[in-house]
Amino acid sequence: MKLFRDLGRRKLRSTLTITGIAIGIMALVVFGSMANKMNALIDGGSQYYADKAVVSVGNMYTGSFQPLSLSTDLETIRDVEGVAAATPGIEMMLNADEAATMGVPEMIVGLVPDGDKGLETFEINVSQGRTLTADDHGNVAVLGCDLARRLDAKVGDAVQLRGVDFEVIGILAPTLTAPDKEAMVPLDAAQQLFVKTLPPMLQNMVDATDIATSITVYHEPGVTPEVLKANLETTLGDSYTIMTGKDFDEMLGAFSAIFSLVLTGIAMLSLLVGGLSTINTMAMAVAERTREIGIKRAIGASRWRIRREIVMESAAIGLIAGTIGLAIGAVMTTVFNDMGRSSGNVLFDLTLATAVTAVVFATGLGAIAGFVPAWGASRMDPVTALRYE
Amino acid sequence: MAILEGRNLRKTYHLGRGNKVEALKSVDISIEAGEMVAIMGPSGSGKSTLMHILGLLHGPDHKCPDPGDPCPAPELYLAGENVSTIPDNQRTRIRARRMGFVFQDFNLVPTLTAMENVMLACDYAGTKGKQARIAALDALELVGLGGRAGHKPAELSGGEQQRVAVARALVNKPEIILADEPTGNLDSEHSAEILALLRSFNREHGQTVVLVTHDAEVGSACDRVIRMRDGRVRDHGYSDSVTQGAPVMAVPAVAASA
Repeated sequence: MKLFRDLGRRKLRSTLTITGIAIGIMALVVFGSMANKMNALIDGGSQYYADKAVVSVGNMYTGSFQPLSLSTDLETIRDVEGVAAATPGIEMMLNADEAATMGVPEMIVGLVPDGDKGLETFEINVSQGRTLTADDHGNVAVLGCDLARRLDAKVGDAVQLRGVDFEVIGILAPTLTAPDKEAMVPLDAAQQLFVKTLPPMLQNMVDATDIATSITVYHEPGVTPEVLKANLETTLGDSYTIMTGKDFDEMLGAFSAIFSLVLTGIAMLSLLVGGLSTINTMAMAVAERTREIGIKRAIGASRWRIRREIVMESAAIGLIAGTIGLAIGAVMTTVFNDMGRSSGNVLFDLTLATAVTAVVFATGLGAIAGFVPAWGASRMDPVTALRYE
Repeated sequence: MAILEGRNLRKTYHLGRGNKVEALKSVDISIEAGEMVAIMGPSGSGKSTLMHILGLLHGPDHKCPDPGDPCPAPELYLAGENVSTIPDNQRTRIRARRMGFVFQDFNLVPTLTAMENVMLACDYAGTKGKQARIAALDALELVGLGGRAGHKPAELSGGEQQRVAVARALVNKPEIILADEPTGNLDSEHSAEILALLRSFNREHGQTVVLVTHDAEVGSACDRVIRMRDGRVRDHGYSDSVTQGAPVMAVPAVAASA
């Protein structure tokens, strides 16, 4: 197209301007991809918690933790009004010394298959092997896809969880959220592992087969999770923590908001820097072409036409910069993902929406930045412009 | 019929801090359709300013240079239409469709080929696509540059560039061609070429040509020479009268002389 020839008039200047915008767009693409991954994780959790309530006591991370009892707590809960099913579970970190990472830590999850009585709506599918069934007991495990990759495990292999050998009977398809890093085992196997992590005094006091770290409660039709939570609170009292989907959303809402803020900040910054740079470039281009603009006006170009030529040129700068920034950002996210894949940390998800937004944003930025110099150019008096040396 | 007629044309430039330059003090002018007229005069005589007004690049001043001193309103007619007070966008349209311009230098857009430069004039006049391409090629053929249509200005000599500018001025078959020192940067051989081109269009197609020039030889190639000095017309160039701003009605019809 002819207008790309105008960019070629001052190759160095065009290149510098384009590079400036491209860098901003690249940052937008990389952080946007990270945000996509975060949102997928959070959405997954939000979806999971949406229609149930999870009862626990204290918090593993803060040390005020107390296990629940199957014989007392579980039975009490099952009798509460509005409860359709309640199933116990054990959650523990796979690696005792894992620091809090950006994503989700690797977990061992002990559960009772079919304990939800078919009420669980969060879909988990296997890509290899099979899921746990009620007949499974002992040291068998179904691994999430990221964990399987890190342990380099296939169905039939033996893996070590907390020093104990488990046979892999299934590997899950990717969920983009927590299950990808979980090892799911029968409740009894998890109970054995869990008891070993308690302080020695406590170990002697508890019955391993009676403990759970959480109880997942499903509501009857017509009962909302909030009503379910209220009923449970009334029966169980204050010392129990009951988490619903709403609670989850509130908790993670702050985290998600911070991330959005960072992203918006990056967008604003690249807008400012890139936009100012483009305004400067176009203003210089207009000044250099003063005579040319005068002649064009003399032979009949309308003011609108002159504006259009300049805005199109600056939009082209934006388009080229956006495409380059996207390309570099795509390469970077791919490299980071590859680097992290073996340790199970795939942190970037470059969606089509993010890619399109980046390029459209850059083009729009270019067009808007060109508007001020374009306006000035169109208002030039043709005679004055013609006399310009 | 007078294609361009003006009375009481004035133009004052304000340079800030109360400085002003009265480029045109009071000019009456009449140009017949089909004439080839030269406007000559020393620097600062106002000849370029007069051409800018005739070419509708500016409107004539309606305000008087001395606020206390009343002055008659300017009048400007193009083929009988009153164009002294029309808005800028209308002036632009008329320039695009009914006039052609040639300047002393830097006529052409450096990033466009000769053909694309000529097509620019078509585009501004509303002709696009195949029609524009054909018209542009025809115009380039007429000035003898049909074979160089794909060259950029940097690849053309000064004379060739001016010829492209003439082609661009002609491509829309305008009623008037205005040229501001079209031969100023050319040697005598190329000057003669350009002049011959303009003369042939004037004779064969009846296009009115108005030239501003320093060059007496250019002046003598025209039907008449209007001489200006200090912002006024000293001589309208009619063979039997030396007038100073004489009223237009007394002007006899000028036959196109050989």
